[in-house]
Amino acid sequence: MTRGMLMLAAGLLATLPAMAATPGDAHVNVVVPAHQNLVLPNGLKLILMPRPDLPLVAFNLVLRGGARLDPEGREGTAALTADLLTYGAGSRDAYEWADTVEGAGGNLDAGAQGEAILVRGQFLARDGNLMLQLLADAVLRPHFAADDFEKLRDRRIEELKAIKDSSPEALLGNYGRALLFGTHAYARAVGGSEASLARITHDDVSHLYASEFGADRATLVIAGDFVPAQMQETVAAAFGGWRRAPQALPPLAEPQRIKGRRVLLVDAPGAAQSYFWLGNVGVPRRYPQRAALQISNTAFGGRFGSMLNQELRIKAGLTYSASSVFTRGTVPGDFAISSFTQTDNTAKAIELALATLAHLRHDGLDGATLASARAYLLGQYPLAFETSAHWAAALGDLDLYDLPDSYIGEFGTALTEIDAAAVSAVIASAYPDADNLAIVIIGDAAKVRAAVAKLGPVTEMPLSAADFRP
Amino acid sequence: MSFAAAASQVSTRTLSNGMQVIVWPDHNIPSVVLYNWVHVGSRNEGSGTTGLAHFFEHMMFNGTARRAQGEFDRLLEASGGSNNAFTSQDVTVYQDWFPRSSLELVLELESDRLANLAFVPAVVEKEREVVYSERRLRVEDSNPAFLEEQVQASAFVAHPYRIPTIGWPADIKSWTLTDLQNFYHTWYAPNNCTLVLVGDVEPEQAFALAEKYYGPIGRGPAAQPVRTTEPEQQGERRLTVERNGQNPLLMLAYHAVSADDARAPALNLLQTILTGGDASRLHRSLVEEKKLAVEVGSGWSEGFDPNLYLISATLPEGGSVAQFETALTGELAKVVKDGVTAAELARAKNQQAVQFWRGVSTLDGKARLIGEFAVLHGNYRKLFAAPAAYEAVTAEQVLAVGRDVFKPQQRTVGILQPRAGAKH
Repeated sequence: MTRGMLMLAAGLLATLPAMAATPGDAHVNVVVPAHQNLVLPNGLKLILMPRPDLPLVAFNLVLRGGARLDPEGREGTAALTADLLTYGAGSRDAYEWADTVEGAGGNLDAGAQGEAILVRGQFLARDGNLMLQLLADAVLRPHFAADDFEKLRDRRIEELKAIKDSSPEALLGNYGRALLFGTHAYARAVGGSEASLARITHDDVSHLYASEFGADRATLVIAGDFVPAQMQETVAAAFGGWRRAPQALPPLAEPQRIKGRRVLLVDAPGAAQSYFWLGNVGVPRRYPQRAALQISNTAFGGRFGSMLNQELRIKAGLTYSASSVFTRGTVPGDFAISSFTQTDNTAKAIELALATLAHLRHDGLDGATLASARAYLLGQYPLAFETSAHWAAALGDLDLYDLPDSYIGEFGTALTEIDAAAVSAVIASAYPDADNLAIVIIGDAAKVRAAVAKLGPVTEMPLSAADFRP
Repeated sequence: MSFAAAASQVSTRTLSNGMQVIVWPDHNIPSVVLYNWVHVGSRNEGSGTTGLAHFFEHMMFNGTARRAQGEFDRLLEASGGSNNAFTSQDVTVYQDWFPRSSLELVLELESDRLANLAFVPAVVEKEREVVYSERRLRVEDSNPAFLEEQVQASAFVAHPYRIPTIGWPADIKSWTLTDLQNFYHTWYAPNNCTLVLVGDVEPEQAFALAEKYYGPIGRGPAAQPVRTTEPEQQGERRLTVERNGQNPLLMLAYHAVSADDARAPALNLLQTILTGGDASRLHRSLVEEKKLAVEVGSGWSEGFDPNLYLISATLPEGGSVAQFETALTGELAKVVKDGVTAAELARAKNQQAVQFWRGVSTLDGKARLIGEFAVLHGNYRKLFAAPAAYEAVTAEQVLAVGRDVFKPQQRTVGILQPRAGAKH
């Protein structure tokens, strides 16, 4: 039982005493530890960050592409492909693989995101060579055994059903993005749906691997306790033979904001609460006003004392948590508000969230709130960069979105330079109008149908349906 | 530096009012993490007031005699800090993550709410709704959590570990202001707290500030021990829950040991062997080979008193619970008969060793681990001895603890069957 969900979602974290900070003050910034950026002849990018404080070494291999390359109707293909990388590779079958990784106390996990497949892990420093050997096997020599493929696909389908039985709120984004992004790649559920997973064949996985994997699509970050020159040699030996990808990554279209409201009611008979998501297209990862954006969203829905949590939880007692987040990709992803409330209060809570959004857009932030949000970000930011695993993840992420180290290392300075005008401009442009939103409600339709009809034109589907759209 | 040698970095002091303060400096980043471990959890509750320990976790943010509701968060966030808290059957823990420059403010805020909490009826009523919303989220709309609550309440007939930490619905609706005040004055006292500070802080500076802000708070009454011990279970218990949903669930609960029990490291290694990762025994046998379950996990809560070892599984839609149960209990019978292999034990020890290193790689992980050992294991120094203690565990000790715990007559079997024709 905790008091509040940790709302330090990606992008909301933060350094030093803001109050004392002045523009250009180096102490407000996180220091990015020294690292080498190299490129192998086959195009593989290698980033080495030695940090010998603990006897651990972490890695993060970022393979550009990810779920956005899933074939239409076969969402989840990249995720299944990633899963299978660690189900037997090189000289080891799936069981020998797990015995080897876990026998060394290590971990090595592959998974998909919207725009990449990530293979991440951490081993004791003494097992650094084994780690690289396993990673190279996973990426260059996966088995993709047909029976493992079927077993894993069937399990992923059952896991989705189990999430509906245990934490339906975790699926809000899947329904929301399907409703919001239409035919754009960002509409796709990264893990797939029960229906799309069932359509995926073993050939789909093999095809995705053959056409979308290659050294020039990948960046390998290694951080921790190792000797750089030796590590560089080991990586060159292990990955030097990796071929380039047969084709270039296609560009992503720019998604368009929706106009008006569309409401999807996902029927969960007997649900004690309604879980809701209100979203529209937001801003990209390379959004130039990122510091002002994060200040505004920290104040609006990114911390315990945020406007949304103040209104819905602290003042009204309608919910345990209300928050907002910008998911930012190569092109603009979604801005979404999410919360939940007792079934009888569904419309009331959603209307309060809409009113709070309208209030933000109409009145902006006062000076004290702006200063507080800035201080909060400055104070929390260093906590995101403590470990080698943090740095491996962060540097891989910078590379994926083509961002400079200063994105981290000068974020503090950027925050200190933001004034009220900058924040107002961002609020006016990055946040949707309360009249233009995709709205998803997971709840007991028989009890909330009438009350939510006033929010906009409603489409209904059952939670047990095998897809995330009607 | 070796793990054991890191103990020399830690300093501790007990204030004259009985409050223990533990400081572990770490200057990697310019931040500090505070954990205040209050030695009260749902095991200290009684009939009619279940959920009160957890409710305090919420009320402690809602104003004091000096500060209105919301001020705690407003001041902390404006100085760069964030906070949270959690409640278990044994403890209630308050956490702050903040820049080093805010140390004095944080200690002032924390000590103020320990000494001067306000009880405003309107605030209590709103927070009651918030907590009920949390209960709906975590328990009522979650089949696994709902089943676990029922299993826990059935496995214990006497010991208060039978109480759900979030509280029974009727109690959440009916606590009185007097209940709250009594609870606060009984449990929220410096002598019932362990204060942990980890990060960019020096021990003498921290002790001086702790003395300044906590020192003036008077010692509270000595905490009443939980006197009830659970009588030995003499026969399997079995319960079934029917709910809307798709996947059947099975949970086995065995009476296990307390955190400070000498068998605890062996039991943790056994847990890793059974369900810790893809190479683990139950995962490989029941999920990968027999495909009877989608997921199987296990664990036990290391508390002041012997708690349950829980094994829980999610079955595929339409899966046979009886067939799965037979396979699962068959695996446990093998453990009790033949023990574990040398390779399994070596794997578990390596996994545990990495887990310790990863645990101390963040300020937050350090604060959590050292607090757990100080409070639940009785001495923070045991944290630094733990890796060696795990390394020394033998296969015989793992077999012995398996035999002590996995007794069929001391288990409770909980089954959740999706209601026929009533999917979500």
